Amino acid sequence: MAANLRVDLGGLLMKNPVTVASGTFGYGQEYDEYFDIRQLGAVTVKSLSLQPRAGNKPPRLVETPAGMLNAIGLQNVGIDAYLKHKLPFLRERGCPIIGNIYGHNPDEYAELARRLEAEQGADAIEANLSCPNVHDARSSQGAALVAQDPEKVAEYTRATKSATKLPVFIKLSPNVMDIKEPAQAAQEGGADAVSMINTLLGMGIDPETRRPVLSNIVGGLSGPAIRPIAVRMVWEAAKVLRIPILGMGGIRDASDALQFILAGATAVAVGCYTFRQPDAPLQVIQGLEEYCVRHQVEDIKSLVGALDIGG
Amino acid sequence: MPLVMDCEITARQEVAEGHHRLVLHAPAIAAQAQPGQFCMLQVQPGCYPFLRRPMSIERTFADGISILYKIEGEGTRLLSAAHAGDSLNIQGPLGKPFPLERAYDRQILVAGGIGVAPFPGLAEAILRVLGKTPEVVLAARTEDLLLCEKDFRQMGCKVHLATDDGSAGDKAFASEVLERLESGPDTLVYACGPMPMMKAVHFVCEESGALCYASLEALMACGDGVCLGCALEAKREIEAERMVRVCKDGPVFDTALIDWNAR
Repeated sequence: MAANLRVDLGGLLMKNPVTVASGTFGYGQEYDEYFDIRQLGAVTVKSLSLQPRAGNKPPRLVETPAGMLNAIGLQNVGIDAYLKHKLPFLRERGCPIIGNIYGHNPDEYAELARRLEAEQGADAIEANLSCPNVHDARSSQGAALVAQDPEKVAEYTRATKSATKLPVFIKLSPNVMDIKEPAQAAQEGGADAVSMINTLLGMGIDPETRRPVLSNIVGGLSGPAIRPIAVRMVWEAAKVLRIPILGMGGIRDASDALQFILAGATAVAVGCYTFRQPDAPLQVIQGLEEYCVRHQVEDIKSLVGALDIGG
Repeated sequence: MPLVMDCEITARQEVAEGHHRLVLHAPAIAAQAQPGQFCMLQVQPGCYPFLRRPMSIERTFADGISILYKIEGEGTRLLSAAHAGDSLNIQGPLGKPFPLERAYDRQILVAGGIGVAPFPGLAEAILRVLGKTPEVVLAARTEDLLLCEKDFRQMGCKVHLATDDGSAGDKAFASEVLERLESGPDTLVYACGPMPMMKAVHFVCEESGALCYASLEALMACGDGVCLGCALEAKREIEAERMVRVCKDGPVFDTALIDWNAR
């Protein structure tokens, strides 16, 4: 008998625990040419801001061992163009939508959440408090992120929550000393779930030119290279949180996804591996089904946090 | 619709030092591919190299495609160790092809180095579809890196050679040869080569009134418009819309749309 893969991610009902990471799936249309995106538990869209953004200057991308470093800078069409031109396709396909939002202050997060709910542009909100590529790395402040300051995390979470009845997920940054602090701050601010992890801050230098390889100097590292860090952080956060976790970071297949689930994630997102293998998210879903059959797991929820540390 | 499939390598040959041609058995991709489109090649299974490599399609045949490439780094070096009979996972065809335009009397293809890669297929299409014979400006560092000359001559194309060191043809840049060919508003120029060459070709065409389509190159992760890693600055009225994606909006662009001074 097929296992029950349904999960409830902070109020978002998903038919399986697999979505995609914001920024690795556009607004769904491109990858629908490779597999039926209705098979996903949810589609997470590229970060939306109130105004369209051009993003950073090129070069924006460089390959790294088992991963990539990017500094796109949240290039996006803006919420108006999303609602008008991108949303109809997703609604026609009928998959649940996680609307990832990015603003400059708590009011902008509230406004974005309000508009997404009012215009049925999302079924859950994921507030990106952790993009490393929208700050001037040359400034003395460096690349400071909201997600690095627990008080701000709570404040931004409250602002977003107060604007919508939709489930609100807070996307956390791994660029902190102790992931439990921002995770708990999100929970105290009323978050329905946390998404983790965003990319790790990284940097590359071309010794021939002595120049940074990215125009933004620093960028976000993603891919299988960061997976062990992400799994460890999910495990640490899960120990102190009551709210569920959407786990991500370098997932390639069901085996990788299961590491996150066993560490405590209720659902997972496939990120930049989709660039390498366009149907990777679908293969993760199929692999989870096979695993459940092989291990006689009736309900995938029974695996959440089921790590056996012995003793 | 782009496909992702394992293809058999039917041949791999070194055509010049550090330059290789791969012939792949891929009828389903060949059936769709148009000149100027590209494929994303997965160099090998596993995670290294992590990203696929974008490569222009050189020609299409009934049962497959050929790809011409230069060894630039680790990914292309690994590809060059592949043998006939090996399997390669490819994704494609991707991107916008070269437009074929009947309204122009002259068609000139300007190739710099490995930038010649998409042109044998384009020349064939111009001959077959438009019944016109394009001229070719074939430029490279040295004589032995002038690729596909014989192919163009067999098609009846007039070929103008240029090398940086004067070892064959004119000792000149491709853009300088193009300038001498006196293109005008009746001319459609197709360019592919290093960015400085395409920038120079663009300005020659702007001066002469020729229309110029260039196939651009960029580092890319997805090849399909999603990652936004390959974006370039275009000339756009609206600041927030100034970036174009080489993979999805291109790789072929009307060079008048590109902000060449941003580079």
